[in-house]
Formats: sequence, structure tokens, C-alpha cells
Amino acid sequence: MDLAAAVAPTTLARQRTLPVSSPLIPLFPDGALVRGRAVSCQGVAATSLALAIAAEPTTAGAWAAVVDVPWLGVEAAVELGIPLERLVRVDPGPNGSKSEWADLVGAVLDGFEVVVTRVPRHLSATVARRVQARVQAREAVLITVGSSAGTGAAGRGPLPLDLTLETTAAVWEGVEQGWGCLRGRRVTVTSAGRRIPRPRQVEVWLPGPGGGVAAVENVETEPVLRSVG
Amino acid sequence: MRYVTVWCPDWPVVAAGVAAGVPAVVLHANRVVARSPAAAAEGVLQGQRRRDAQRCCPDVLLLDHDPDRDARAFEPVVRAVGRFAPRLEVVEPGWSCLDARGPSRYFGGDQRLAEQLMSAVREHAGRIAVGVGVADGRFASAVAARRAAGGRGPMVVDPGGSAAFLDRLPVAWLQHVGEADAELVGLFARMGLARLGDLAALPAGDVLARFGPAGRHAHRVASADDDRSANAEEPPPERRVEQCFEDPVVQVQPLVFVGKHLADQLVAELAAEGQVCTRLVVTAETEHGERTERAWYRAAGLSAPAMVERVRWQLDGWMAAGEVSAGVVLLRLAPDEVRGDDGDQLRLWGGPSAADERAARAVTRLAGMVGDDGVLVPAWHGGRLPGDRYGWVPASTTDLTDPDDTAQRLRPDLNGPWPGSLPAPSPAVVPPEAQTATLTDATGELVRVSGRGELSAAPARLTIGDRSAQTVIGWAGPWPLDERWWEPPRHRRLARLQVVTADGTAHLVLAEHRHWWVAASYG
Repeated sequence: MDLAAAVAPTTLARQRTLPVSSPLIPLFPDGALVRGRAVSCQGVAATSLALAIAAEPTTAGAWAAVVDVPWLGVEAAVELGIPLERLVRVDPGPNGSKSEWADLVGAVLDGFEVVVTRVPRHLSATVARRVQARVQAREAVLITVGSSAGTGAAGRGPLPLDLTLETTAAVWEGVEQGWGCLRGRRVTVTSAGRRIPRPRQVEVWLPGPGGGVAAVENVETEPVLRSVG
Repeated sequence: MRYVTVWCPDWPVVAAGVAAGVPAVVLHANRVVARSPAAAAEGVLQGQRRRDAQRCCPDVLLLDHDPDRDARAFEPVVRAVGRFAPRLEVVEPGWSCLDARGPSRYFGGDQRLAEQLMSAVREHAGRIAVGVGVADGRFASAVAARRAAGGRGPMVVDPGGSAAFLDRLPVAWLQHVGEADAELVGLFARMGLARLGDLAALPAGDVLARFGPAGRHAHRVASADDDRSANAEEPPPERRVEQCFEDPVVQVQPLVFVGKHLADQLVAELAAEGQVCTRLVVTAETEHGERTERAWYRAAGLSAPAMVERVRWQLDGWMAAGEVSAGVVLLRLAPDEVRGDDGDQLRLWGGPSAADERAARAVTRLAGMVGDDGVLVPAWHGGRLPGDRYGWVPASTTDLTDPDDTAQRLRPDLNGPWPGSLPAPSPAVVPPEAQTATLTDATGELVRVSGRGELSAAPARLTIGDRSAQTVIGWAGPWPLDERWWEPPRHRRLARLQVVTADGTAHLVLAEHRHWWVAASYG
């Protein structure tokens, strides 16, 4: 650390960060997840992308909570690099209201640095601001997962999002007409947000062969062998 | 040096105001830190997990660990003991000790002093269980007090008799009194050093060479040679840190905040010299000259948070007693005894981090909000379908900060390989229940899987639930699966297909009993 940084009187918000895995770095204006901000993952690969973003901070020792995402695939989380010993899932009760969601997220933020959640539809602006203030005060990172069906618009609620990551143009590799098996998916991730003048785009394997996230150019597209005769 | 120890057994339970005869435990990080006599009678042990305690005694009352509450409740006892000697040390709530020499001469002997102390505590603090022990050395007197707590009268060990008193006692006493950790005590026991006398009989140099500073300390304690810590010294008076207030402070919170600054400063200064404070005197004075001064002792050394905690306990008790008529103008922290810090370091690996503790606390709180079934952690079950391989278990049934417990929960290698499971990548979206679906061929007929694992036709359209049909652009499989055929109620026979639809999503589709299901999606 150089002296200027050591004696700097203040820390800027963008200097308090959590790491993010290297193929996804181009999407983030600060090159990392900035604490106290909300990131939205949308589109076809929303759940995988949310897990991929959460992987690096949890590996570094942060705890991750998954609130109201009961469909989370644990194996995919492992393959994307999330250590399960620091993963907790919280489900609201069967008749949970929107304010209960906010209370729950508030309580989760007290103990977890990474929170993956689904924002309820028709969330009131007051409740959303409360949650946002809590995220900032706790210096956590809130990752919201849009509709898994790919409608894309579910995340555009009243919650002020700092970064929206849209996954589009997903192409699965490895499966043909009746043979092969899924090897990976090439997907285009576009980031847009208040602090980005123009959208950034990156094409990644999500998941790549083996289940992790990888930059597209780094993976050799080896020929798939097909049994004949 | 001769010490009197006043010890109140299971103080956290007593402080919580549990009625006699009610089984109750106080829990910290899911472990029992104190239990009521009724719970002890049911077989609840110190250090037990919550679920084990509940198994021993299903109707046990669970209480949260609250050191501040314990300290407030202990204040009357400290005041009662303080009448006998002003310079008493509080080790922790429920446990204080004082130098016996002066008071003992004044009251006419150790036995008389101990009896008077006992009746004074009972008189001022209500009918609580209390043990008083007098012996040479802090450790021996603490042991004597604990042994006396079960009986009626105090326990007095004759001068010079501490070594003989400790000789026949098991080494586990070192752990009970907090002079050694469980690991070291376990090691002693495994090496055949069952009694304190066995340990004391070893040459001190050999113990130091084999067990390090912790072992040397245990050896000194077991030999009743613990008047002072091995390398303790009295620090020069300029070591003390204090803060005077221009404007008198009437509330505890700002004072504690100032106390934190002072403690940080003191600990940093001592650490720069490689020292740690074992005995701290906290003094506060008001504008009107009222004054509180108390010594706090901790054999392992007082860290800055521990000092702050003690400042808060002392000020809380002082203010609550109603003896304060004006604001506080002086707060002073004076180290009374320091010793070389010979390595009570945090472990390099394995110990729970602050983040772990924070998460564990949040989990406890969340379980209170949504119930135990709403806060879940993954656990390895094993299987060939995505939902089977990992299950979710309530977080309250595990100890999140215990690496052994966690490793056992998530150990996928013990169950062997699962031949027939699909290779990575795995689906990221695994709904709790499989959704019904229809898979049709180009003519609109339902695709069927034959008993030999062959499809009747190439799938062309996939409809999930009541969503609109999607065109199939790629598919692989079917991979048959015949699980648990030896157990008819749980027998499953199905075929798996990976299906990619035109919208770019991939699904894991199952055929079972002539129906199609979507078990998971690669979201």
C-alpha cells in the first residue's frame, strides 16, 4: 500500500469492495462489487449469474444468505464456487407479506455480507428505500434475482438498483438432436446502471464446462465426439 | 498469597431469575454455558449443544447468554463482599476473589471470615447458592469455593496445604476454573496425567519444553505456585490512562465509549512492549467526589473489548445503585498487574472469525422471526437427481461456527460415487416440487419412453405447467434410472432427458409412470 492511500483521511465508497470473479470484472464499473449497493440479475441465466457473483466474496470469507429463493440449486452453487459452509437459505413463512420480506432482509443484513433475494412485486417505495438504506448502512451487497422465466422486467421495481445485469442470447452447447449432454452455455451479459454512461457487454460461459464461470475466449471449443455405427 | 474466593454456581441462570426447580439452560452460540440444578439433574452438561440438552430434558427453558444482565445481578454480591475488603477482584459475574490476609486477621481467622462472607452474601443478595473457599493461591481457593458451593459451610485449606489439597483432584479442574483449555486438559489425561498431583510432580522445565507457556502455567497452577503469573510485574504508575471531562457526563453509554478509547490506547501501549494486562483497576469519580474503584482480574489477560465490557459492568452497577448524585468527571484505567504476552494468539486456521459469529447470531435471530424451518443450511444427502443430492436442514440443528459439524454436514466423499448421475454443469433452478409438463413430438403425440429406454419419437415441443409451448431445439437422453428397487415404497423408475428450448433455456425433464415432469432448469 502506498503512503498516499495509508494516510488518506477518508475511504471512498467505491474503495470498500468485495471481489468478483475475473470473467465478470468488465461488467462492474469499479472492477469489483461495491459494498452498500444493489445488483440485479435478470434474464435467462439470472440465478446462475447471481450465484457466480456471490462466489468470489464467499470464498474470501463472507457469508451469503439466500432469501426467498427456494428453488436454488445447491449443486450449481458448488460448481460456481460457493463454499456451502457459509451459505444459509431463509424462507419467509407461507403467508409472508411484503413488509415481512423487508424485515427479513433487514435482519439478514445484520449478519451476512452477501444477500441473494427476489424482490416481491408491487413493493412500496417506502419499504424499498428502507431496505436500500439498510444495505448501505451494513455495507453489504444485495443481489436480486429477476424472474427465472426470463421476463426481465420483474426486477424493475421501486428498489433503486445500482447495477442491472441482463443475460441474453443464451446458447447451450453439447446437446444435439438426441445425443450429447449439456456442457456449457454461452451467454451475453449486459450491465447498465446509474453509474455507467454506456452499457458494457461481455460474453461468458455461464456455466462453463465443469460448472464454473469462464470467459468465452479462454475455453477451447474442442470437437465433440460422436459415436457412429 | 492467601485468597478468599466467593463463587456463585451457575450464575447466568441465577441472574436470569429462574425459579428453583425449573430446568433451564443459558446458551451461547448454541452451546450450554450454564444450567440450573434441575437441568443438571436431568443430565444436561456444560458445553453441550442445544439439541442434546433438549434431548436430555425436553421441557428445558432456553435463555440467551447476556453478560451485562449477569453483571448487573452480581452487583449486590460484589457490594456485600466489598464490605469486608475494598480491594476485591471480580473475575467474571458470579466469581470474585480478595486477598485474605488483612480481613482474616481482622475477623479472627479464615474460617470466621469465610462464614461471615457467606452470611453477608446471603443477606444482601437473597437466598442464592454460594461457595466460599480460602486457600493459598487463586486457583486453589477457586477450587475450594467450587467444592464448598455444594455443601453448607465454607472450605478452608490450611496455610501451606494447597499443594496437598490439589494433589488428588482430577486435571479437569484446570478447565473448570479456566486455567487451561479443553485441548490441553484432554492431552494431559491421554498422557496418563489424571490428577493435578501427577502434573505437579513433573519437572517444570520438561513441562515447558513439551507444552509451551500454556503447559508451564498449568504446571504452576497445579503445584499451587500461582501467587502471581509467571512473569507478572507491577507496571509503573504512568502506564495508567485516564480521561477528565470538562462537562460532567451523566449517562453510561458515552462513558463506555470513552472507556473504549482508553482501553484501545492501553492495550496498544502494552502490546508495543509485548505485555498484556491481567489485573485492571477501573476508577470513576463524580463532580461531588463519589468514587468507584474496582479491580478486574483475568488470568488469560484482558483484551480491549474485555476491558470495555468490565467498564460497562462497573459503571452500570454503580449508577444503578443510586449512589451517584452528579455527573462523572474522571474515568481511569490503571493496569495493576501485567505480564509478558507469551502467545495467546488466535489460531491461524480453524477458529471462528468475527463474520462467522455475526452470521451465527443473525441465524438465531432469523429463526425467531420465521421459525426453525425457515432458516436452512445445505446438507449432503447423496443421490442421482438434482434435488436429491443436497437437502436443506434447519440451521438450528447444526453449529455453524463448528468446522467439524459443518464438515460432517457437507461431506460428499463418504457416500461414494453415484454412478448414473449427470455430469456438471448442474441446474441452478431446482424447484422444491417437480412441475408437470408435456413433451410432444412433431405430430402432437405425447412422447413415450419404452421399457428399454428408447423414445417413441423425437421430441418437438415442451409445455411446462400451464405456460405456452416451446419448440425443442436440442435434446439428449433418455438416461434411465432405476433406484431403490429393493425397497418397494421408495422404488423409482424413470428416464431423464436434457431438453433445450427455443428461448435458450435448458430443462431436466423426467418421464415417470407415463407422465412428464420438469425436475429442474438450467437457469
